[in-house]
Amino acid sequence: MSHAYLAYAAKRLAQAFVVILLAYVLTFVVVSILPGDPITNVLRDPQNGFTEDEIKAIIAAQGLDQPIPVQLWTSLSHFVIGDLGLSMRSNRPVATLIAEVLPSTLILASAAFAIALLLAVTIAYGTQFVPKRLGQGLLRGFPSLFLSVPNFVIGLVLIHVFGFQLGLFRVIAPNSFWATFFAAVALGIPVSARIAEVLIANLDKESEQEYAAVARGRGLTEMRLFAKHLLKPSSLPVVTVIALAIGELLGGSLITETVFGRTGIGSLVQRSVSTQDLPVLQAVVSLAAVVFVLVNLIADLVYPLLDPRISLIGGRRVRPTAADDSAAATPAAVTS
Amino acid sequence: MTLASFSSASRVTTISRLTALRVPPTVALSFAVIAFVIAWSLAPDLFTSQSPIVGVPAEKLLSPNTAHWFGTDHLGRDLYTRVVYGTASSVTSALIAVAIAAVIGGLIGLLAGFLGGWVDIVLARLVDVLLAIPNFLLAVIVVTAIGFDTTNAAIATGISAVAVFARVMRSEVIKTRQAVFVEAAFLMGGSRWHILLRHVLPNASRSVLPLAVLQFGLSILVIASLAFLGYGDPPPASDWGLLISIGKDYLKWPWLVYAPAFVTIATVLSVNRISRWLRKTD
Repeated sequence: MSHAYLAYAAKRLAQAFVVILLAYVLTFVVVSILPGDPITNVLRDPQNGFTEDEIKAIIAAQGLDQPIPVQLWTSLSHFVIGDLGLSMRSNRPVATLIAEVLPSTLILASAAFAIALLLAVTIAYGTQFVPKRLGQGLLRGFPSLFLSVPNFVIGLVLIHVFGFQLGLFRVIAPNSFWATFFAAVALGIPVSARIAEVLIANLDKESEQEYAAVARGRGLTEMRLFAKHLLKPSSLPVVTVIALAIGELLGGSLITETVFGRTGIGSLVQRSVSTQDLPVLQAVVSLAAVVFVLVNLIADLVYPLLDPRISLIGGRRVRPTAADDSAAATPAAVTS
Repeated sequence: MTLASFSSASRVTTISRLTALRVPPTVALSFAVIAFVIAWSLAPDLFTSQSPIVGVPAEKLLSPNTAHWFGTDHLGRDLYTRVVYGTASSVTSALIAVAIAAVIGGLIGLLAGFLGGWVDIVLARLVDVLLAIPNFLLAVIVVTAIGFDTTNAAIATGISAVAVFARVMRSEVIKTRQAVFVEAAFLMGGSRWHILLRHVLPNASRSVLPLAVLQFGLSILVIASLAFLGYGDPPPASDWGLLISIGKDYLKWPWLVYAPAFVTIATVLSVNRISRWLRKTD
C-alpha cells in the first residue's frame, strides 16, 4: 500500500460519505417539499378510518408538526446511527419491514446478476471467435436489442412462453425454482447488455493495440492471444460497471417483482407509493444510494490494485493509455 | 413498361443517393420507422378509421386479421387503432423528458465546466448524488411526489436523466475550453459570457445530440415502465406501456402484449440505431 493509494482511498471514502448524506437530503426534499400534501391526503382519507385523535398522534409521532428543516435534521441524525423510523401506515419499524422482504430480493438480484454476467461474457467473448460471415454482427446486435426491450415485456414473454405454453412454472407460485429463475432472467437481460457493451468495446480496443499486433506477428493464434493477452485487460474495467448494474438491478426489481407477483423490496416500494408511506420510501431510496455508493467505492478502491497500469497522482486516478475512457465512452456508462 | 422502368430507375437513384450520404440501410430503415411513428402521433386519424375508445363488444378478443391488424382487446376495440392513438402521448412525453434532462443537465454541465472552481465542486457533488439513486427509483419517487399522470411521469423521467447530460456536457465544455480558437477568442478580448454562448456552447452541444437521441429511446422505455406500474394516465388513455399493462391480464390472448410491445421495441431500436450512427459520423 503506497502513500498515494492511501490518500486516494481516504479521499474517495470522504466523498462517498458526503454523497450518501446528500442523497438522503435530496430524497427528503423530493418527498416532503414538492407540491401536494400526501400525508394529510392519505391520513384524512375516510377509507382509512383514522379518527382525528389518531391522526394527531401519528403526526406527533412522526414529528410532522415540526418545521421542515427540524424534521430533516431529526431524521438525518437518526439515519446516520441506523434508525430508519416507523412506517406511517403500520407503525412498525421501517428496518423490520425492509428486513422481511430483503432476502427474496437478494435471491432474485444475485441470480439475475449471475445470469447477466454469464450472458454478457458469452456474447462479448463470442464476438471474438464467431467469424464475420457466421453471424458476428448478429451477436454484436444483441446488447442493443436487449436495451430496446422494456424489462416488463421480457418478463411477460417468459411467463407466456414458459409458464403458459410450456407449463414450466405457475404464476401463482412465484417462489418456485423456475418462477424465480425466469424472473431472474427477465431482470438480468437488460443488465447483461450494459456489461456486454463495455466488454465488447474494451475487447475491440485492446485487440487493436500494438502489443496485440506484435503477438499476432509472433504467430500466436487468435485463441491464445485472447486467453493470454486480451482477456484480463478488457475484463477488468467491468468492475467499474458493476456498481451501475447494481443500481439497475434494484430499479428493475420493482418491475420484475410486479410482473412475477413476488414480494420483495420492489413490491414494498410499490405498496408504499400507493399508500404514500413516506418513511418507507425515504429509507428504501437512501439505502439504495448507500448500496450504490459502497459498491462503487469498493470498485474504485479495488480497481487500482488489479490494474497496474493505473497510477494514482495526487489522489486522482490517472491511466496513461487511452483505454480507461472505454467505460465513459460507451453508451452503457453514458446512459446509466 | 415505361412505368416499371421508371420506378426501378428512381429506386436506383434513391439507393445511390443514400450511399452517397453514407447512410447504412439499417439507419435508413430506422429513419423510416421514426417517420411512421411521428406521422402516427401527428395525424392518427389518417392511419385508421376506427375509434380508440368505443369498441364493438361482439368483436372482443379477436386474433389479428385483415380487418384488425393487431387484433381486438377485451372491449372489442381495435388494438392497432389504440396503438396509433397512443403514439402521440408516448412520443410527446419522451420528448418532454429529454428536453428537461438536456436543458437542466446541459446547464449544470455548462456552468460546472466553464466556471470551474467551487461551482464545479458543488455541481459535481450534486450530479454524484443524482447518479447514486437508481434511475428508475428516482423517477418513481419524483412521480409519487408530483402526482400520477403521463406528463408528470415524463417530468420524473427527465429529472432522473439530468445527471447523465450534466456529466457529458461538463467534459465536453472542458475539452472545448482548451481548444485554440477559444483561447484566441479570449485573447481578442471576448467577454466570458460571449465566449460561453458563441463558442463553447455550440461546440460542446454537438456531442449532446447523439446522447439526446439515445435518451429519447430510453425515456420511452422508462415512461412505459411507469405507465405499466400505473403511474401514468389511467385508461382509456392508450400509451404503449399502459396497453402492455392491460394486456398482461389477458395473456391467453398474447397479441394484446406482443403488438404494442413490438411497436415500442421497433421504435426504441430505431432510435438507438440512429443515435449510434450520429455518434460515429460526428
